[in-house]
Amino acid sequence: MIELRNVSFSYEGSADRALDDVCLSIAPGEFVGVIGPAGAGKTTLMHTLSGIVPHVRRGEFFGAANVAGLDTITSTVAEMSKTVGCVFQDVESQFVTTMVEDEILFALENFSIPRDEIPKRVDRALSDLDIADLRSRSLSSLSGGQKQKVALAAALALSPSVLAFDEATGELDPASSVQVFALLSQLRRERNTTIIVVEQKIMLLSAFADRLIVMDQGRVAIDGPVRQTLERPGRLLELGVNCPRVTTLAARLRDKGLYQGAPPINLDEAEVMARGILR
Amino acid sequence: MPGILEYQSGDTILHHTHPLVKLLLAVSVCVGGFITKSLMFNLALLLLSISGGFALGMGRKVKATLKGAGSLCLFLFTLQLPFVRSGRTLIPLPFGLKVTDMGLRFCAQLSMRLLGATLPLVLMLGVTRLSDLTNALVAQLGIPYRYAFVVTTAIRFIPILFVEMHDVIEAQTARGVELDGSFTQKIRLIPPLCVPLLVSCVQRMENNALAAELRGFYLRKRGSGYRRYPLNGADALVLTVCAAILAIAIIT
Ligand SMILES: Nc1ncnc2c1ncn2[C@@H]1O[C@H](COP(=O)(O)OP(=O)(O)OP(=O)(O)O)[C@@H](O)[C@H]1O
Ligand SMILES: [Mg+2]
Repeated sequence: MIELRNVSFSYEGSADRALDDVCLSIAPGEFVGVIGPAGAGKTTLMHTLSGIVPHVRRGEFFGAANVAGLDTITSTVAEMSKTVGCVFQDVESQFVTTMVEDEILFALENFSIPRDEIPKRVDRALSDLDIADLRSRSLSSLSGGQKQKVALAAALALSPSVLAFDEATGELDPASSVQVFALLSQLRRERNTTIIVVEQKIMLLSAFADRLIVMDQGRVAIDGPVRQTLERPGRLLELGVNCPRVTTLAARLRDKGLYQGAPPINLDEAEVMARGILR
Repeated sequence: MPGILEYQSGDTILHHTHPLVKLLLAVSVCVGGFITKSLMFNLALLLLSISGGFALGMGRKVKATLKGAGSLCLFLFTLQLPFVRSGRTLIPLPFGLKVTDMGLRFCAQLSMRLLGATLPLVLMLGVTRLSDLTNALVAQLGIPYRYAFVVTTAIRFIPILFVEMHDVIEAQTARGVELDGSFTQKIRLIPPLCVPLLVSCVQRMENNALAAELRGFYLRKRGSGYRRYPLNGADALVLTVCAAILAIAIIT
């Protein structure tokens, strides 16, 4: 579905490589989490998937990127946008209308979704994100989290085959973040949507993603199944990424000889571990 | 100020009127105010707008507009008044300046025309969603979507800019920039306030254009709009009012 071969990119006027020889292959229906310190190249990676890099954010691009059969170099951003749904952190500048409903309609209209299907899609997107009551509100009257939900709803309504979120849940309360991730899981199950999310909350990634990519200085530092990646808390910490607390706890217990099993990556597994130790 | 140009949801007849008919009504009141020679008709149009605004539940918008545009009018009024030479002198002023009856009339009409032109547009935006206006301009008048979008985006950006300006002022005050001081001090403050505002504004517009592109802006066609805007009885009524306003303006 997504194929990056030796992609390197440096922004115009900058000698540093924002992406440095990145090779990635993501299968349809995979749920991939991307994490890494500030300036690691996560946003640049996401922009590469949508063609923003190098078409809008210009610079020197090497290698090849293919998303859902489209070469990002020969395709325009408009063509890519049919396949890749993007949501970025800065919601404010992503709005192109003034009302919640209009914001969701905008892309549906542009992509020529059949008329009779449009109201269904709008209703579904609004109810999926629990914002049906905001439907006729003006965007400027919403809170940060509510705005983010509208941006997410607008992207989900299109049901693109690839969803690329760049820290798109930054302003949501913890419960809503979990809800959004659960929704992504469901989309992946029901429509085989390929999901790639940049997210700083490692607990969310460990609970929902299958695969974790850790970026550092433009390179893919670690790329593997979530569990396998989290089993190396030392290496993660070196890269400036915190492990889930339960995983760190298990590593400490293991060092003290109190626990021998596999490290838990979520609360349920941690409970099993605790019960085992207490027994 | 933020919010004054924004749509205010409601259920009045005007909320359900065709977007272009509403635009026409607002334009008719503006144009009518400019072509009439009768001071009374100017006053009538202004009162019509004010009472209309209150009837629509937009008293807040009316007051804010009158306050904002009113102070501009007062400024222009006092600036112009002593320089009109024709007419009967009412109050002689030093330096050969004077207040004449023609001057008073001229300046009063100017003020009323300005107020009368601002208020209907503000109210029209209050009862019309910007996207409806865009879509109707594209679908009915055949204006290319990108031009219509630019116009509505500009309107959308005005309140955003005000919020941004507020943020910049706040940030600069927090860094110790003194905002109240002598006139020369204030002049010196313009660069630190305007440069960040300009930069963030340009950045915002660029990001916004990108966001629109990412969501299929360039794929949009004339018939893309989902909502349809059929004309109804209320539209006919409003159109009659438009015609009446223009007709009276021409004969008075
Ligand atoms: N428009 C630009 N022009 C020049 N350099 C840029 C530009 N955008 C990003 N960079 C540089 O490219 C590198 C990667 O940036 P990127 O935004 O991809 O990082 P990130 O991992 O998303 O960071 P964060 O977690 O802070 O969002 C950084 O060194 C950054 O300074
Ligand atoms: Mg980033």
